[in-house]
Order: sequence, then C-alpha cells, then structure tokens
Amino acid sequence: MGVSAAGRPAPFAAMDALALEVGPTGPVAAVGGGTRGDLGGALDAGTRTVGAPQGILALCPEELVVTVGAGTPTTELEAALAEVGQMVALPVAEGSTVGGTLAAGHSSLHALALGPARDALLQARAVDAWGRVVTAGGPTVKNVSGFDLCRLLVGSLGTLALLGEVTLRTRPRWRAGVWVAGVADPAGVLAAGAGPTALLWDGERVWAHLAGHTDDVAAAAARLAALGCDAVVDGPPPLPPHRGSVAPSTVGELPAGHGGGFVAELGVGTVHTQRAPEAPAMPRRLHELHCSVKARFDPDGRLAPGRSPLHGVRVTG
Amino acid sequence: MQDARRGPLGLDGDTLAGCVQCGLCLPHCPTFRVSGEEARSPRGRIDAMRDVEWRGAPVGAGFAEAIDSCVGCRGCETACPSGVHFGELLEGTRHALAAGAGPSPVGPLQRWGLARLDRPRLLRAGALALAVAQRVGMGGVTRRRNLPLLPVRREPLRSTGDDVVLLTGCVMDAVQRDVHAAAVRVLTAAGFGVRVQPRPGCCGALAAHAGLSGLAARQVDALAAGLPAGVPVLVDSAGCGAAVLEAGRRPGAPAAVVSLSERAVDISTFLARELRRLPAPSPDAARPVVAVQDPCHLRHVQHAHECVHEVLARYVEVRALDDEGLCCGAGGSYSLRHPGEAAAIRERKLAAIGRTGAPVVASANPGCALHLAAGGATVLHPVQVIDRMCRTGSLAP
Amino acid sequence: MADLVAELGEGAVLTEPAALRLYGHDASTIRGDAPPVVCLPRTSRQVATCVRVAVAHGRPFMARGAGTGLAGGAVPTGDPVVIVTTRMDRVLHLDVPGRRAWVQPGVLNLDLDRRLAPHGLQFAPDPSSQQACTIGGNVANNSGGPHCLALGVTSAHVLAVEVVLPDGEVVVLGGDGPEPPGYDLRGAFVGSEGTLGVATAVLVRLTPLPPAVETMLVTFDDLDRAAATVSAIIAAGIVPAALEMMDGGLAAVVEDFCGAGYPRDAAAVLLVEVDGPPHQVAADAAVVEAIARAEQARAVRGAADDAERAALWKGRKSAFGAIARIRPDYYLHDTVVPRAALVDVLRQVRAIAEDCDLLVFNVFHAGDGNLHPLLLFDAREPGVMDRVHSAGRRIVEVSLAAGGVLSGEHGIGLEKRGFMADMFGPADLEAQARLRCAFDPEGRSNPDKVLPGGSRCGDLAGGPASPGSAGPGAGAGDAAEAGLWV
Repeated sequence: MGVSAAGRPAPFAAMDALALEVGPTGPVAAVGGGTRGDLGGALDAGTRTVGAPQGILALCPEELVVTVGAGTPTTELEAALAEVGQMVALPVAEGSTVGGTLAAGHSSLHALALGPARDALLQARAVDAWGRVVTAGGPTVKNVSGFDLCRLLVGSLGTLALLGEVTLRTRPRWRAGVWVAGVADPAGVLAAGAGPTALLWDGERVWAHLAGHTDDVAAAAARLAALGCDAVVDGPPPLPPHRGSVAPSTVGELPAGHGGGFVAELGVGTVHTQRAPEAPAMPRRLHELHCSVKARFDPDGRLAPGRSPLHGVRVTG
Repeated sequence: MQDARRGPLGLDGDTLAGCVQCGLCLPHCPTFRVSGEEARSPRGRIDAMRDVEWRGAPVGAGFAEAIDSCVGCRGCETACPSGVHFGELLEGTRHALAAGAGPSPVGPLQRWGLARLDRPRLLRAGALALAVAQRVGMGGVTRRRNLPLLPVRREPLRSTGDDVVLLTGCVMDAVQRDVHAAAVRVLTAAGFGVRVQPRPGCCGALAAHAGLSGLAARQVDALAAGLPAGVPVLVDSAGCGAAVLEAGRRPGAPAAVVSLSERAVDISTFLARELRRLPAPSPDAARPVVAVQDPCHLRHVQHAHECVHEVLARYVEVRALDDEGLCCGAGGSYSLRHPGEAAAIRERKLAAIGRTGAPVVASANPGCALHLAAGGATVLHPVQVIDRMCRTGSLAP
Repeated sequence: MADLVAELGEGAVLTEPAALRLYGHDASTIRGDAPPVVCLPRTSRQVATCVRVAVAHGRPFMARGAGTGLAGGAVPTGDPVVIVTTRMDRVLHLDVPGRRAWVQPGVLNLDLDRRLAPHGLQFAPDPSSQQACTIGGNVANNSGGPHCLALGVTSAHVLAVEVVLPDGEVVVLGGDGPEPPGYDLRGAFVGSEGTLGVATAVLVRLTPLPPAVETMLVTFDDLDRAAATVSAIIAAGIVPAALEMMDGGLAAVVEDFCGAGYPRDAAAVLLVEVDGPPHQVAADAAVVEAIARAEQARAVRGAADDAERAALWKGRKSAFGAIARIRPDYYLHDTVVPRAALVDVLRQVRAIAEDCDLLVFNVFHAGDGNLHPLLLFDAREPGVMDRVHSAGRRIVEVSLAAGGVLSGEHGIGLEKRGFMADMFGPADLEAQARLRCAFDPEGRSNPDKVLPGGSRCGDLAGGPASPGSAGPGAGAGDAAEAGLWV
C-alpha cells in the first residue's frame, strides 16, 4: 500500500490471509514477540494465537509516513527508518513487534519530546471479531474523517480488533544525542527549558537526554550542568520492572511512597517502580462505558479472552 | 429566496448579501461577549435582518429587541473579513423601525430629548439639576444609570484666535467643559488660535444612532451652516467626529456639511501632525503611567486611534489595552437605555485597564469617559493629560 | 421547556422563534430548521440537566460553541435541544509548571493563547477561525491549523475531557497521567463531532513558546517547483512549524487588499516558518532558503523582526477579506491528499471549477497536504448553488482517487456524510458505528451527523445492551465524588 496517486490501496493478500486465520468464531489472540504477555491478565487457556504479517510495505519519508506489517520487529523498523534519517515515536526493544507495541500502548522513554505512542498511529488495517478486515484512520498525517478508531486501538491489548498492517507517522531522526546526569532538583531542571527529549529522576539523581543541533545541545548541557547534571553518562539508568502513570505534577510525592525504588519520567508522569503500583480506581459509570465498548466490538468476548486493559482496576462508586 | 428588491427594512441588497455567516465578528461584539447569544451578535443581527428582508419574517418585538440591544460600536466591521458595512445595516434598520416598520424602542420622551440636543441652555439646566440632585442623595439612581458625579461649576470658554475651530457639541459642553478648556489651552500653547462657537449645536450622532436620520440630518446641517468656512474643525469627542465624518457622505448633503466633513479632524490626529509645535515635556519630569482606551468611533469608524497613543507617548508612558478595542459599553445613550448590559460590558473593559497596572485611563470620547468613571475608573481626556503635563508636570489638575 | 427554565433560569433558555431561527445553521452553507429550544448553561451540572431533560422528553440534543464550523456539525437535525456553551467561558485551573489547564468548552481558542502568553505558553492548535472558535469546538472537530504540522492536531493536546454522556451521567475520559487505565476513550471522543456526548471541561496540554522563530515568504514562477520545494524541505529532515502555500491568483488578490508584500504575478507563494532552539532554527532557515533557490525560487524574503513576521502572516490570514471584494460568497473546501499528488490534484480542481463556471483560488497547508480550494460565487445567482455543490462533490472524488482522505480539518458533519461510503467500506463504517453505539445506543447526541443513515445501533450484528447502563434521570452524585467540574 503506497501513497501514490494511482488510487486507493487494494486489500493485501497478507491481510486476507490473517482474516481467514482469525475466522468468525472461537477464542483467538494476536501474539507479537511475546515480550509483554503479562499485560492485562493471562489469556484463557486454549486460546488460539495468530501472528500479524511482517515486513515494511511502504516507506515514504517525504510524506512522513511508513506502512508496515504489525508483526514487524521494532528493531527492523528502526533500522529501516534510520537509513532514511527518520524515526517513529514508539519504544524500540529487542523482540517486540510494532503491533504488540501499539497494542500495549506504552510510550517511549522520550515521550517528553516525541509524544505518546497513541499519536503515532495514522491508519490501521485490523481484523474484527467477525473475522473481517476493517480499516481505521487514513494514510495521511492529517485526517479527521469519521471517528478516531486508531486511538481506540492503541493500548487496547488486542481486545477490540487484531492489528494487521499499520501506517505510522514518522519524523526526522534527531542528530547525535547525549545523556547527562547528576544530583539536581527535578523542578528546576524541568523549568530550565533546555528542551531535553527525556528527563528521568530516581528521587536523587536526574538523567537528561539532549539531542539536536550541536550548539543547541552544548548550550542546553551547560544550563543543566549549572543545575547539577554535570556528568556525561552512557545512557539512562536501568528501569525497575513495574509501570505506573501519575500526574506529572505529583512526581515529587513518589519518594514518600516508593523510597528509592523508582525511576520517574519528569514532565510525562510515567513511573517505573520496584513495587507493583496500586490498583487504579475507576468510577462505576466509566467502567461501564469501557465494558460497553468492548461488548460492542466483541460481543462474544472471543478476542484475547482473559486479557483486558481494565485488568486490576478498582471500580468505585 | 434572496433577491435584490428592498424589503420592509429598505436595506441595500448587496450590503446585506456580503455576510457569509463565518462568525469571526462574534468575539469582537460586546453584547455577544456578555450574553453568549447569537441574537446579540453581528452575525445573528444580520441573519435576523435577512429573515425580515428576504424571508418574510415578521418585524416583531424579538427582532426589535435584538436590534436595540446593539451598542453600535462597529467593532464587527473592523473584524469582518468580508468587509460588511454593519453600521449601515444597523442604522438603516433603526431608521425603518423608527419610521414605523415595526415596534421601535425610541419612545416619545426619547424623541423629544434627542430633538432638544441643540438647545445649550436647556442641556445646561438639565445637567445642573442632575449634578445638584446627585449631591443631595440621588447619586445612587444616577449611578445605576451609569452616570458619574457631574460637575456643578462650569468654566467659561473663550476664543483665542481664528486658526482653528473647536467643536464643543451638546452634551459634552454641558458636562465636560473642562475638557474643552484644556483643548483650548493646549492648542493655543501650540500656536493655534482657537475659535469657540457661542451656540454650537449638535452633530446629530445620537439621533442617527437611534434611527432618527431625518432629525440627525437637520441637526448636522444647522451645525455646519453656523461654522466659519476654510479652517480646520477640531473635534475632541470621538463620537461626534465619526458622525461629522459620515455626514458628508449622505446623498443630498448640503455643501456646508460636505465641507465640514472634509475639514473636520479628531484633535489627536491634528496634534499628531503638529507634534513639534507642542510644548516639550520637561526632561526630568516623571512620566506617569496612563492606559489608553480606544473609543469605538475613533478606532473602528475613524481608524484614527493610534494618533492618541502617539501624542500621549510624548508626555507619559502609554499602556495600550490587550482587548483589541472591545467596546466599553457606553455607546452614546446605550448606557442609559440598557444599564445592566452596559455595566456588564464595562466590567471587561475595567478588567483590561486593570491588567495594564495604570492608575489613570485616557479616553477621547465623553460618553466612554463618563461611563468608565461611573464604574470607578479615573479618566482623563487625552488633551487633559497633555494640558496637565504641560502646566504642572504631573496629572494633578 | 418548563423543566429547563426551572433548572437553568429564564435568562438561560431561549424560546422566542426569531431568536431560535438564528440557531438553525452554523458557518457552513447548510441550513437546517430552527431548533425547538436553546439552552445556555454555565456549569457542567447545568449541561447534565439539559441532557437529562432532553432525554426525559424523548428529544435528541446537540451542543454548539461559537457556530464557526464549516461542515454543518452544528446544524440542528431531529428537532434537538440545543446546548450552547458560549457562557462556559472560564479557565478553571491553570497549572503553569505542569503545562496544563482545565478550561470550560466555551473558552475561545485565541483568548486561551492570550491568557497563556505571559507565561510563555500556548495552546498549539491554531485554526484560522481561532479568534472566534471555542475549545469545545476544537475538541469536537479535532481541529488543526497551520502550526499543527510539527505539533499535532487537537487530539495531541487534550489530556482529558469531562463529558456528559447521552444518559445524563458525567465521566472524565483520559486523565492527568500519561497512560490512564482502559481504552483511550478520550482519543475516541476527540473528533467525534458531538455524537458521543457533550464536553463540559477539557484538560488541555500547553506547549512552551519556542525560543526562536524564522519566517520566510518564497515566490515561485512555477507551481511544480513550489510543490517540489515543499517535498524537498521535508525530505531534508526539517518539519517546519508552518508551511503554507497560496496559488498566484490568491496572492495577487491578497496584495491588492492589504499590501503585505506578496507578489502580484507569481505562480505560487510559500510561507515557511521554522521554530525551536536558536541554532537549529538558523540552520533550518538556511537549508530552506538553499532548497528554495535550488528550485529556482524568484525571491526569498525572511522576516527581520516580529513586526515583519506579523506582516507576512497578515497576508495569509487576509485571504477571505481579499476575496470578498471579488464575489460576496465563498465555499471553503477541505481535503487532504498525499503531498506528491498535490500539483496534479490542483490542476484537476482548476479544471473542475472552470467546468462549473466558478472562480477558484487555493490556499493549502502544504506541509501536510491539506488542500483548501476556495470557490467564489454570488449566492443570489439562480442555479449557482447546484454548481457549487457539484464542484464540491467532484473535488472530493478527485482527492480520494489520489489517495487522500475526506477531511483534514473541517470534519464530516452533514457536508461529507454522503461520502463516507466512498472512503470506508461497510465493515469500517460498522466499526465506527459500534463506537458510537457504545456511548449513545439510542442515537440522541447530535444525531444524523458523521455516519450515513443505516449505521444504526439496531442494525449492527450482535452487541447486547451494555451491562448495567443507567437509565435517564440517574443522579449526578457520583460526578461530585469523582471530583469533576460540575
């Protein structure tokens, strides 16, 4: 599926094959690299698994889009984009697939500059609970035609539809970046306006990633060094296993709750913790709404049974 | 069906057709800002006019009210990307209503009052009576009608030469003589002899805004006939300046009126041209901070508001408002007829003035000045600012 | 009616026919019927009341901001209770260090920017109607604007929305954190054109004003070269803050109107703006200029200061004012095509206009392929509206054929509902309808918009009623508990 003037894209053989594999009935789930099978609860025993098509289908750097099979490893996508000087706003990890990453909905460590993962998906061809191919979104970077199902699909853990092919928004790859770190006040660093792509804090030390024009990076590094981040380091600290989401302005309260066992993304609010986070609360009516969406898209509950983005949520009211 | 025939309101079809209902005028309309209602917005008023003119809608009380609730500030004209002449449509509609096309808010008492604006002694007597009444306990009543404390004493005004004529007007001469006196002093100090008319007359602005265009025409014609020819006519009231400017465009206007509209100029525009002749400010004088309110008729009709900023900047630190010239709610007689709305609109203007941090605001229009003062602001006319800075080096009287 | 007045007060309920007629249309060319009643609430609680009363009387409801929409999204259908948000114009809470703010839906886009500017912040989406349009409207349409190329459209700048659902209950979609639990219902709500409920408070993400900006006006004698320059800029790894193109005819008209320094005899002009850290900006500006000259640009003029920058943008923003002197009416189209197809589509648009005997000028957000053909006409001319709509249909067809989408900014509303089946297949439309039914099973919220008739909840295969859905009249007690802006 290229974005050529030749006409609208025809269904690809790979998507049809996936749809056939999924079929109209029976429990089924998509599996990518199996790196985050722990999310959303365990799949029911006996659930059939399918894999999405793999491979780069269309690379259009001048259009700022790339279309790939959802089963493509994120490392392969990153390499292909790097060759044309571009990147996507998705986390890249060994073993993970593009589709799996979108289904999990976790943003990259550089969300502060790149934005959340959900903003990266422009168009998705997926298989619905009836085994049909559906297209959500459009192939262009700007599109408000109809409802934004792409955003609904990101983070849905494959419970509404199974991603087969996705078109992602790309952006220029940033030039050489550098990580600096040191003991500093997180509020001060955030307010310094040095334009970091990532800012991490473990309660004591702050890590910042700076990228862009060499002179701007040097100026930013100097500003941060003056605040305490004066050491150049190889990379971010190792991240504790659990992932939570808090309001960025409340990051200062984390040491009280987690002691030294956390790394927080300043300005974003994603927190990586040693201890599993508290079950998030959700009002009853909102919970009903989420369940209603799931029920409409998958009345028989056959897509990824046992798994849900609502897993572990505490219903209140 | 839209066609070019004139309907019950007699409005020009092309002018009425120019609006594409885009809505970009809404935020610039004071009555829309305080009410949030489409009927109290330029777009809504135009659509209502079209309903009547083109689609056979009745001219009912609702329509009349929508038209009457308009302040007439013409801020929408400045904002309109299609260049619709809303002022023309508004006055045309008001004229039609006053002439009987529908219920008119202009009652007999108001008509009587408007026709008496060219009687200076009557105006003076009325103003004096109000001023006294305010001092013996009726202040509350007049405050609710958005009138500040009016002066009891009135300075005598004397001509100092014949280089220019100062239009002293009707209401302004009755209650704001001190502004005229300051204008005469400033102009004289700049080397211009000022002639002041003994029986000035009225420019017809208030009558025109009420839709009584016949009365307005008679008033401005009489005014023009009584003025000396060949010299610039300076106007220190933005509302009067706008009226005089537009009077010359009236089809069939007498030569004296056309000549007047060509010679008339807002006093700040005149002073801006003659900046070098104004007394220089003392170099070590403190420069007080003054906010400048742009009266709608100066900004949106005469397009001359920047001259005020330019002239004042010579003497004080000028702070412009950040509200793109949104009306203050005075609107000629609007603040008397719709005191609640006018006060609500004023709140926004006072807030904008407050945001500048200036303790004093300069307003080139008497109506605005009175209205803002009634809301608690300390208001001076730009010529008063210049006059005081020249005479005392400060804003003290 | 009486119920509404009892709850909101007389001054907040409009029932007079002359006033109601004015709400029968928005800024599009589509006219509807006057609604039976218009409400002007001030709080979330009052909005919830309006919805509950509408539902209790078996009526649909429809939200309206400033009514500047161009696709008929705020044209009443089905005799709805119209809920106007213009009196909900307060910024509820501004968190400068956190770069976010809770605002009511009636806050005007530009008013918000003015309030934020002293803090060095802005709300990124800047549609051309920003001085008049409301944040609520931006959320409903997922609005864009020239500066969305680099920063993203409204969805990227909304963190949470407090919504009154079609059953009258209030929920907050999204949240203060980056990854709230569950589905991204917030993302589904943005751009849903009022069909899923009414937004009563929006948590907006604020963007720092860039440290450095460079703006350039580039003149071309050849349209293909102008388009090639756009592609080359993107290919060079630069994502400009704004990349606007106007065809030569429009530039000439604009120059006659406001003298902004635009050429009168060019084939096309490009307005390029790059922003960011100072060295990056300087480097990018140099690259843009080099590319332009390599593509035989006749002139490259950079703004020396803020005043000059404002003057350059004035030209772009005066487009409507300029064309008003040529014809009294205009129809602003909105499509997106891949950038590579831009020149070809442009030629086809010109041919269509000529064929329909209409004048056309083009302004586009060239950076993201968002094309805005401007058809000029006099609505009083007999038969012209048919030609205008016919031209519109053909422009949409041409854009879709080129691999584009139906709308880049204006939304579907009523205007493009009939084209949805050209862009989406039956299964795709069904999926969209499922989303809608999950929120609004009875089709009460702004009915008949976006999806073509036939995509009704009852027609969908399967789908039991949502478990435990609350009936109308459910209390708003939970809302207060959840700490909402009621």
